[in-house]
Amino acid sequence: MNRRVRRWFFLICACAIFGLFVSAVRQMPTFGHYRGPYGDILNRETVYERHITDVVTAVNFDWRGIDTLGEESILFLSVIGTLVLLRKPSSEVNDSHDENDTADKRKGREIPLPSAATRVATLGLVGPLVVFGLYIVAHGHLTPGGGFQGGVILATAPLLVYLAGDLKSFKRIANHETVQIGEALGLLGFLILGLPGMIRGGAYLRNVLPLGTSGHVFSGGMIAPINVCTGVAVSAGLVAVTYVFLEHTLETRLRGRR
Amino acid sequence: MNPLVPLPLLIPLAAAFLLGLLNKRCPRWFADSIAILAASATGVVSLILMHESALRPIVYWYGAWTPRSGIALGVDFYVDPFSAGLAAFVCLLALASFIFSLHYFDSVGNLFHVLMLGFIAAMCGFSLSGDLFNLFVYFELMSVAAFALCGYKTEEPSTQQGAINFAVLNTIGAFLALLGLGMFYARTGALNLAQIGRTLGHDSGVLVVTSFVFVMCGLLVKAAAFPFHFWLADAHAVAPTPVCVLFSGIMVELGVYAVARVYWSLMDGALAPHRSALTGVLLVVGTMTALLGACMCFAQRHIKRLLAFSTISHTGLLIIGFALLKPGALAGAALYLIGHGAAKGALFLVAGILLHRCGSIDEAHLYGRGRKMPWTGAVFVLGGFGLVGLIPFGTFAGEHAIEFIAERNHQGWLDIVFFLAVTITAAAVFRVYARVFLGRGTRLSSGARLKTVDERRETSGPHNHVPAVMFLPAFALGLLAIAAGCIPGETHAVLTAACAFADHAGYQARVLEGAFLPIQAVASEHAPLLSSVLRSLGATLAAIALAVFAISPAWDRGRIYSRPFARSMAFIRRLHSGRVGDYVAYFAFGVAAIGIALAFLIAS
Repeated sequence: MNRRVRRWFFLICACAIFGLFVSAVRQMPTFGHYRGPYGDILNRETVYERHITDVVTAVNFDWRGIDTLGEESILFLSVIGTLVLLRKPSSEVNDSHDENDTADKRKGREIPLPSAATRVATLGLVGPLVVFGLYIVAHGHLTPGGGFQGGVILATAPLLVYLAGDLKSFKRIANHETVQIGEALGLLGFLILGLPGMIRGGAYLRNVLPLGTSGHVFSGGMIAPINVCTGVAVSAGLVAVTYVFLEHTLETRLRGRR
Repeated sequence: MNPLVPLPLLIPLAAAFLLGLLNKRCPRWFADSIAILAASATGVVSLILMHESALRPIVYWYGAWTPRSGIALGVDFYVDPFSAGLAAFVCLLALASFIFSLHYFDSVGNLFHVLMLGFIAAMCGFSLSGDLFNLFVYFELMSVAAFALCGYKTEEPSTQQGAINFAVLNTIGAFLALLGLGMFYARTGALNLAQIGRTLGHDSGVLVVTSFVFVMCGLLVKAAAFPFHFWLADAHAVAPTPVCVLFSGIMVELGVYAVARVYWSLMDGALAPHRSALTGVLLVVGTMTALLGACMCFAQRHIKRLLAFSTISHTGLLIIGFALLKPGALAGAALYLIGHGAAKGALFLVAGILLHRCGSIDEAHLYGRGRKMPWTGAVFVLGGFGLVGLIPFGTFAGEHAIEFIAERNHQGWLDIVFFLAVTITAAAVFRVYARVFLGRGTRLSSGARLKTVDERRETSGPHNHVPAVMFLPAFALGLLAIAAGCIPGETHAVLTAACAFADHAGYQARVLEGAFLPIQAVASEHAPLLSSVLRSLGATLAAIALAVFAISPAWDRGRIYSRPFARSMAFIRRLHSGRVGDYVAYFAFGVAAIGIALAFLIAS
């Protein structure tokens, strides 16, 4: 099919699908008229039974915790997949690049460091961001947030170091080995935390910890530890992916610096 | 609750995380043994579950959130002989691939094992899940693992194209399924399959039908149904051989299984008065898939592509088995799935052996080079007989059951579809056998107008013999393809399980009320065996005759006289352009056609 035929063919089909979709949407309940009992029940029961004040987190990690284990595995496999697909072909591993490197390596021609303002702003943000990320992870069961969101915030810290031009520190922080260990440990932790519920006769991922008082940090049973594991896994996963994508640039730039 | 139920998901996941943790710090043999151990353990657990659920399906609620007054709160796994049996079959094929790949790929640490284990976990979870969103999660997990495995041989340029086509098409399918899932949630406020089914009742409005069409089309992309099948051949041609075994043997078939599961648990109440509409639409899809796949299969000379198109063709037959919407045909489809999966696995492994020994996968290059491997050739022929459905292969039992139901429902013309599809696909296999392993017949002109197909070896080490670890899994799968049709009492057990699978109200009562509903044994009707046997023998002879004709000089001369046929073949081949934009356009066409046809037939 040439480009023009394909475009028209696709547009006609897409219009048909869209028509079907619109006629379906017209039958949906109007906005604000939630029909199912599911959400209502969860909204009512979460605080009473689980002592958790953030229902979204409760859905993610308690009512439907097994979905989250699957989603985290998706993240894990995506990272592994990225590592596999972006690996250096074996023919290039021993190729030292130095001979035919096009980068200009004369004195005084290095890539300049970012300005002092950028460095101060980014490095200054690292500390507060780490604290904020940890806070979001630890308070997932109380306020909006949790392991996923906190993990993403934590993962931005090494990126700020990269933006500040401190490439060696970035490489030290985001080094494959450490990050992969962190990710796998976080996931294994999640998987293992579900087992006690199974061993004590209930079902996988059933709560076995005391529930505490709603609104306190130490409440909600298993959610907090699972959130911590998720936070570790998510932040490590994101750092690993960014590192893989930046690896090549990083190496050339580090070589230029020498 | 039965503590074994989550294990088919947890064992491979734990093994994957463990190997990800150790990564390069553990030796290769350790990774191999962990992977093989995990696959075997998962397989054994699944078999136990299949046995335990034979009389009464098991419903397992994660977090012990059992339903309250008939409303599901958590996520459940629903174990019946079908779902557990599929999980066991996943593990079996995975075991064969792991053993086959013992001296494969020493390039990237143990990441291959990690991806494979994640893939197994996803497929087991996909079979067992009883929740629509949970099903989608495993669909995605399966896809992510499959994309990376497909693009594993990054050193070849064609790999990227095949893997990208695969990723783009499947991701669009997943988006569509997610959209349909969201629409179901908006309509019913539920995610559990049984719960949605109960809330829908007999509503067959546009909203429900459209949601179902979206979810179904998303799943049919995985099932490689026409016109969503285009990615499959590109992906199989570039994926490593052990991965192809899982792709063709079970992943594609799981797409059909999921459509069946979703239909019977969720839509059967709503569509009960309109069954004939769904049957009609799906029969067209299945027939097109079966015949198109068969024609394309015969036209290939890249052996892995050839086998991939044969998978498309046979998946079309599976779709026909489901489309009849009768427990008997469903039982036939289940038998067919196992028989075909094992035979196809054996064929792919033989292709892998050829690649290992001769460094090529092209029928033309390999001419006569398999003459020193008679046993390997024997397995290849065995796989061919499996495809054609010779008695007593598993495919024979399945085809027999499906055709019996089809005839009783006045769909006798499906016999012809089956005959054509199995004959042509098997003939292609026999043709390759004659050229490669016997060195008989005309040589294909290598070069000239046809582009040469080339593929690098996937193995290291000496190439002058067939290692036992490569031959034995292929041989075992070939035997399994026969065994799948010979277990005494099997047909009856599968039929009983199929009746429970298709029991819409019973499913809801079991899941939502925890009702104690033992599976009722069904009196099996004795289909006339003789005509089926004759048909199977006839198809086998026809396949052999076609193969002999294809390698005789008469074939080349005959081509000149069959202009219209050659032209239509050229047109079909042009459709498979390898351009992902084209594929997406066909996808949109498929969704629009299926959606409008179904909505129109149901409304009228």
